[in-house]
Parts: sequence; C-alpha cells; structure tokens
Amino acid sequence: MSLISCKNICLSYENNKVITDLSFTVEAGDYLCIVGENGSGKSTLVKAMLGLKETSSGHLHFGEGLKKGEVGYLPQQTTSQKDFPASVFEVVISGCVAGKRSIFYSEKHKSLAYENMKKLDIFHLRKKCFRELSGGQQQRVLLARALCATKKLLLLDEPVTGLDPVVTSELYSIIRSINRDYGITVIMVSHDLHSALKNASHILHLNKNKYFFGTTAEYTESEIYKSFSGGDCND
Amino acid sequence: MTDALNILLTQNFLIRALVVGVLVSLCCALLGVSLVLKRFSMIGDGLSHVGFGAMAIACVANIAPLYFALPIVLVAAFLLLRMNEKGKIKGDAAIALISTGALAVGVMVTSMTTGMNVDIYNYMFGSILTMSNDDVVITSVVSAVIISLFVLFYNEIFAVTFDESFARATGTRVSVYNMLIAGLTAVTIVIGMRMMGALLISSLIIFPAVTSMRLCKSFRSVIISSTFVSVLCFIAGLIFSVEYEAPTGASVVCVNICVLLLFTLIAKINSTVKSIHVKRFTVILTVIVFLTLICLPSAFSQAQLSKKEKLTVITTGFASYDFARQIVRDEGEVVMLLSPGEESHTYEPTPSDVVAVRECDVFVYGGGESEVWAERILSGSESTTTVVKMMDAVELHKHNHDENEHYHEESEHEEYDEHVWTSPVNAKLIVNEICDAVCSVDSYNEELYRLNAEKYLSQLDELDAQFRMLSENAEGKYVVIGDRFPLRYLMLEYSFDYMAAFPGCSAQVEVNPVTIAEINTCIKNDKIPVVFKVDLSSGTVARSISEETGANIDTLYSCHVISADDFENGETYISLMTRNINALKTAFGF
Repeated sequence: MSLISCKNICLSYENNKVITDLSFTVEAGDYLCIVGENGSGKSTLVKAMLGLKETSSGHLHFGEGLKKGEVGYLPQQTTSQKDFPASVFEVVISGCVAGKRSIFYSEKHKSLAYENMKKLDIFHLRKKCFRELSGGQQQRVLLARALCATKKLLLLDEPVTGLDPVVTSELYSIIRSINRDYGITVIMVSHDLHSALKNASHILHLNKNKYFFGTTAEYTESEIYKSFSGGDCND
Repeated sequence: MTDALNILLTQNFLIRALVVGVLVSLCCALLGVSLVLKRFSMIGDGLSHVGFGAMAIACVANIAPLYFALPIVLVAAFLLLRMNEKGKIKGDAAIALISTGALAVGVMVTSMTTGMNVDIYNYMFGSILTMSNDDVVITSVVSAVIISLFVLFYNEIFAVTFDESFARATGTRVSVYNMLIAGLTAVTIVIGMRMMGALLISSLIIFPAVTSMRLCKSFRSVIISSTFVSVLCFIAGLIFSVEYEAPTGASVVCVNICVLLLFTLIAKINSTVKSIHVKRFTVILTVIVFLTLICLPSAFSQAQLSKKEKLTVITTGFASYDFARQIVRDEGEVVMLLSPGEESHTYEPTPSDVVAVRECDVFVYGGGESEVWAERILSGSESTTTVVKMMDAVELHKHNHDENEHYHEESEHEEYDEHVWTSPVNAKLIVNEICDAVCSVDSYNEELYRLNAEKYLSQLDELDAQFRMLSENAEGKYVVIGDRFPLRYLMLEYSFDYMAAFPGCSAQVEVNPVTIAEINTCIKNDKIPVVFKVDLSSGTVARSISEETGANIDTLYSCHVISADDFENGETYISLMTRNINALKTAFGF
C-alpha cells in the first residue's frame, strides 16, 4: 500500500479550479519533487496533502498508518518569524506540540528534540535566539522542528528560497541524507529544476491542465520537460 | 519610600487598587506577548473601544456594566478574529472599523443622557482608586482563570503564535487556540477597563511585551520578563501617583514608556558591544536603574500624612470652600479639591485627595452627577469624617424644570441640578449646615463659628435683597446664556426668565443647532444686548451667537470652580455674585 495515493483529485483556490483530475502515488522512502510554474497549484496541492484543504472531487488517501498531523511540514517563511524572540530549542520542540498528551513536554519529547538538533548539526545553537541565526541555520531549525513532528513524511515548501548557493546545496544534501539514512519520505515543492533532477527519485510536474508524474529518469525523456526547460537543455 | 508605602499599605482603597492592578497587569503581560507577536496589538485597542461603547450603553440602560460588556466584547473579539482569517476586510481596517464604530455609538449614547456622564468618563480614563471589594473578588477569580489557562496551554500558544501554518499542518486546532487568546484578551480588557480606562488599557498589553522583546531572546524569557516589567511598572506608577498626586492610569503608562526607552538603550549598547562581561554588566545596570526608577519618586517624598491639630475642612468646589472659609476663618484649615481653573466635570481624585478626604474633619460636597466619586470614596470607609452634602441641604430642582423657562429643551432624563449654591437663599441653608458640622467637630470654638456664620448670613441677606430688587424691575426681560447652564437655582429663585443653549451643565459634547437658531431669532427680534457665557468656559457657542446677532458677550459666574486669577485676587462668593448682578443689570438695560 502506498504512503499517499491521489486518484483523480480536483482542487480549487478561491473558486478557481487550479488542479483537475490529478493522480499520483508516493511510496515510503520516495523523494518526490513537485515542480511547475507559479500558479500551477503547487501550494494548493501541499495544503491538500496536509489536510488543510478539502478536495473538490477524487480521493486523497494516506496509507501505511500515516495519520493527518503526522506530517513534518516546513512552510514558506512568514515575515512574523523574522523578529520572533524564541530560542532554537523552543522552536524545535514546538514540533512535538500536536503529539503531546500531557500539559507539558515529557522527557521523551525533549530527547527527541535534542536528537533532531544533533542530526541537523544545530545542537550547539540550542540556546541561541532564532531571529539572530542566518537564513540557512533558520531553515535547519525549522527542519529539525518538522522532524519532531513526523517519523514518516516530510513536506517541504520551497525550502531554499532566499538562501545563497553554498547554503542551498548544504540544505539539499541534508534533505537527501534524511531521506536516505533515516528512511523518511520527502515531498518537496521546488523552483530549482536542476537540483530536483539531481536529488529526487520522482517528479510531479504541474502545468495548466497538463501533468506529468513519474520517476526522474522518465521525466527527463518527457515532452513536458523538454518544453518546460526550453533553452536550458544545454546545461 | 516609607511615606508612600505607608499610605499604600494602610489605606484599604489603595490596597484594593494594588491587588486589582497587579492581577490585571499580570494578565495583560501574559497575553500581550502573544498578541504583539501575532501582529494583533491593535485588537486590544479595538476591543477596549468596543468595551467603552458597551459600558456606555449599559450605564444608560441601567444594566451592570461588567456583565453587559463582557459578552459584547467577547463577540467583538471573535468577530475581529474571523474577519482577520477570512480576509474579506484587511485586519487593520477591520479593527479600525469596529473600534471607531463602537466609540461613536458610545459617544452617541452618552450624549443622549445628561445624568451618567461621569460614570462613563470613568470607563474612558479609569478609576482605579474606587475599586470595591466586589471588584477585587471578580478580578481575582477572573485573573486566576486567565493565568491558569495560559499556563495550561502555554506550549500550544507558543506553537500557534510562532507559526500558524506549521501548527495547523501538524494537527493543532489553531482556530481554537486563536479563539482562546482572543477570548482571554477580551476578558482581560473588560476587567482592566474599570482600572485603566478604555483609552489606556491596551498600553498595558502592548508595552511590557515590546519592552521585553528588546532584550530577551527566548519566548519564555519574554513572558517572564514582561510579567515583571508589567507588575513593577504598575506598582511604580501607583507609588508615583500617590507621591505626586498624578492620575494613576497615566502614571503607569508613563513609567512603561521610561522602561521601554531604557530597554531600547541597553539593546543598542548590547548590539555594539561584543564582550560578554560588558553585556552582563549592562544587564545588571538595567536592573539597578529599573529599581531606582521605581524608588526615585519616593526618595524625594512629598506626601505627608498630615499631623493635624487644627480643624480641617475639605470642600470640592469654590462656593462651599468660600462658605467654610467665612465660618472657620483662622481657627482651622479649609482645602478645596478642585484647584482654581480645573475642569470640574472630569475631575478625578488623586490618591492623596482620597486620603485627605478620609482623614479630614468635615467634608463638604455637592452630591451631583460630577461627584459620584465622592460617594465611592466615602462608602465603606472607616473614616470619622463629618459629611455635608449640599444637595441634601436645599430643595432640589430638576434639570428640566419648565415652570419659568422661556424655552425648555427636550430630554427624558430627569436629573437633579447639582449647582445648588448659585441661589443666595440656598447658600444660607448650606452655610447653616456647614456651621453645624464644624461646631459638632470643634465644639471648643463653637461660639466663634456661630458668630462668623451670623455675620456672613447677613451679608448673604444683603445679596439676596439686591437680587430681589433686580428681579422686581426685570418684568418681561429675559437672560440669554449661550453656554452650559449651571445657574438654574439662581434663575428660578428670582423668577428670571432665561434661554440657555444647553439644558444643564453636564459635559455634553455637541450643541443642538435648533436651539441656537431659536436663540439667534429671539435676540434679533427682542433686541437683546448681551449673550452670556459661563466663567471658565471656552465660550465658543456664545461667540458664534454674538457673531450672528451682534450681541455683546458677558460672563456669569457659577462659583463652582474659580479661575486662578480671581483666586489670587481673593475674590469671594459674594464678590462674584455681585459681578453677576452688575452683568444682569447691563443685560436688562438698566
């Protein structure tokens, strides 16, 4: 059974249909990149996968015991976070908030937060103020928070926006290792087609009423890729 | 320090103020951090205006303000939240709409009444010194609930505040917690309004949070710091207001401003300095300066608990002050609470005024709508003050008594006019009352007081005779007053016909244009030479009438509050009333 299976789903955004009749499946351990032009419905699809949006028709099904709320989500940064006084530890452990049963965080949650900070090499920053970190460090903190929220699936919404090339490639390799070494399924919305091709196992390309879903290898052979990448083919 | 603390801890009304203030500050600080970080600061402001509108309606409809305002403000909070989420109207515009709308309704409702303006004024600027035991109980229960809910849901509130979309995605019921925050804010504002006033309550929410965010680097430290800042600033503000006789609410806000500036300065220094030792030093310095700031007002202590041997009489307005002065003369001290030139209808007692009233021998007050506070101070007091209520000494007239009025204004509200002393006949009754009160307290000098009163009463008789003579010759004449109208008792006593732009003397905001038009027509038709303004008023209405009709402006004196100049020159009730006689003579064309 697939981790996520989408069958003929339609989604609309402010009464405009942005996605019609889309089908794809995500298996455990996949690394899926969602690419496409602005306005092609990437963010709407992400919201639907997070359970924040109802599909107007079709089925979106979570399998393998994955429940709503067990998705680790890395949202696009909002302006209010930029000056928020919070320590790294506070941000990371807030990933556990939905899972906790008692009033306060238990030792289990704290050790989970520590573990994830170590994974992402930000343990030494745990007492630092979130707003004073660099962009790359901030994304790692938010990634650690997302890991606290899930054991199975990470959903990343344009995680590298605004980062410089070095930090970007660092972040990509972290995400790759999360996928490979910890067996966590990754779904990433990205503008960066080249990195997507390099890292992802599957590509979902959204275009106005034209979709492609398949492995990365299949994608590079497709019509939609050729027309989309256009002049960049030479790279 | 000791004096202020002494007053603070020995006066029950100040202890009540302290308890309520500390609790409200605590709640405000906790919620403030979340509101500021969520960019919801203005919701607090909006809700306080809604609270004001609701309180105004409750006062007019004679419903307990708290129980009426609470559900309305709660509904408004949820409505604001919904508008914000749905995004049909942008958040800031939505808040502005609701807050100014509610304010307009409040002002509208207020203007329809003549009676309860002062109560409503209290909700505008707060009256922390008049907290009752019930207020303390309600505030304690409500803040206990608020604080425990906040602690219980601390982690959720952090998650929702820091990143709504993440919290939503991981299955936290974001809208429930948003509603919780908005609901708690609404409740805090309603209970805080009585104390700080609708205009200032949101500063208690915003200041401590913003101040703490200058220096603190984690959410928890911001929360802890802002509770400390909030509570300490409140206490400092209260002490300051006791020491310097300043209004409490505004003092608290001013202390908050100082602390914010201080924290900002330290943050600036910290960002330029790298050394950890220097940083530590500045933090310690902050604490020291902060504490000094609180103690500073007390160091230059002015307030003194009066060690009285002489008789002390405290009066609210000038007329009663002058009466008491004429009776007591050198044998005691007479103090007037309304300082010369002060606006009488919006007067709020300072802590030392309250203490003084409770500790004086005789307290004389009018008892009208603008002195509701006096009754609050006296109720539940264990003081031994002998009280003279002037309105109890005379026969009362309602604001809209139509017997002798040339015109009478429309209003359903029947409130008794409090300016009873404007008639010399009433003045005599009041003088007798004051004399009895003074004699009962200081029987040793009774003979002297009686003699003084006797002399003064004969002067008042003379004044009365002069008015009567004027009245006999004033057949068919009438007085035009283009101002508030505090002189009803004078006019009725001597059967002067009159027209007034306002029905009474309450702090009504707008003048009725129809009334003005009628006045203008009458002046033109009957060739009235003088339009009167009342002393210490801005005289804008009289001026516009004068410009329209060419009538001269002259002044009538109500003797409620005296101007600073007249006070300096030693004017008295009789001398001011003589001015009235002369002014009326000119107006009648004698």
